[in-house]
Amino acid sequence: MSKRAVDAVFEGLFILTDLRAMLRETAPHHTLSGSQREQVRTLLARLEGEISIIREDLD
Amino acid sequence: MKCTGNFDVRDVDECCINIDPIQVGGRLTADAMKAVIAYGDGYSVCDQCRKPFRLDYIRTPPIDAFHRDLAAFVNMDVARVVPGARRGFQAVADTYIEKGDPVLITALSHYTEVLAIEGRGGVIREIPKSDGNIITPDAAAGKIEEVVREFGRPPALLFIDHYDYQYGNCHPVRDIIRIARQYDIPVLYNGAYTVGIMEVDGKALGADFVVGSGHKSMAAPAPSGLLAATSERAGEVFRTTGVKTDVTGRTFGIKEVGMMGCTLMGVTLMGMMASFPHVRERVKRWDQELANGNLVVEALRSIEGTVVRSEYPRKHTLTRVDTINSFDRIAKTHKKRGYFFSSALKERGIAGVIPGATKVWKFNTYGMTRAQAKYVASSFTGIAEENGLTVTR
Repeated sequence: MSKRAVDAVFEGLFILTDLRAMLRETAPHHTLSGSQREQVRTLLARLEGEISIIREDLD
Repeated sequence: MKCTGNFDVRDVDECCINIDPIQVGGRLTADAMKAVIAYGDGYSVCDQCRKPFRLDYIRTPPIDAFHRDLAAFVNMDVARVVPGARRGFQAVADTYIEKGDPVLITALSHYTEVLAIEGRGGVIREIPKSDGNIITPDAAAGKIEEVVREFGRPPALLFIDHYDYQYGNCHPVRDIIRIARQYDIPVLYNGAYTVGIMEVDGKALGADFVVGSGHKSMAAPAPSGLLAATSERAGEVFRTTGVKTDVTGRTFGIKEVGMMGCTLMGVTLMGMMASFPHVRERVKRWDQELANGNLVVEALRSIEGTVVRSEYPRKHTLTRVDTINSFDRIAKTHKKRGYFFSSALKERGIAGVIPGATKVWKFNTYGMTRAQAKYVASSFTGIAEENGLTVTR
């Protein structure tokens, strides 16, 4: 595993932390507005990117 | 869900709207959570610690600049991070109180101020509160005079809480400090419920020391806080070691005695630092926080038999409410007894009220979105109506 993978692990954790913050903002029912849904989609796409980097490192 | 081993994940703030009176101002920002992930290891801030080996000199991460920023934030000259406001009280008490010295607190002071004085053998004298639970300048002046008559000298120190923990009431600290200064009494301003949630100007208030709580009001992990001082007092409370040991002849550089050397060496400090840019901005939005608080307070006041025990109109988001003649009346015949109220709140996703409390209790709306404040307000009135209480619309 490279430094790039280490960075990807942290970046992934940070992205999930942003998702966690959104859960707090929208508690208790987590009904997301249109822009919040878009934000979550963007975060998930970035998260998938970080996971891909880690996968690439394994191969 | 388990966090690890045999203890659970704590997800109260993800699943509920938390109104716990002491928790809301200390909830972490997303940036602080990220700092917790990266700096969780013990002495994590010490990687780049170089001569003269002291926390407030570390430049990477920028801890030195953070100390200067903290002092400026409360408009004081020098600041140090401390493991909770209580350790700030203790450092000041250790500096100024000798055994038998009279020390002034108030009838609404936090217990940790008492312990700090007790630890030094000081003699505690309390400024009484008014019928409306306010500490007035007249009461302060009267008590100082009383102490002078009793001890033949003024108090060695005055601890004054700007907003108290019991009612969240605002006390006229500037006027009280002005009186204390006439007697040359050093004053410690306890900003546990102000620093980090509203703007505080230590010099405008005339305080010698400003103490804040990281985990109560600065979106930081516990235990964290700050102790800030004027330049005149800084040399006393932040005095450096001068000792030389007898056998080994060791000396300890510029470590500060009152701080016990370095204070927050890892995750607490980094969490505090990561939240700080947000904290510096959020204090400017105090009016919005008060508006949210008032929305909830008005909803409670609309329920028959419910009385706000804090000063009214509210000047803080922490409020003490008396529901002896409303929710407690329901509790007497409800099958869940006193637990019906916290249980009904829990069903609605609201946490932070002590289970079983239906008589006199406290809540804090700090940090809610407007939508969450509206939801909490309607939940209180909804629970009241479901249980046959009249709500005045």
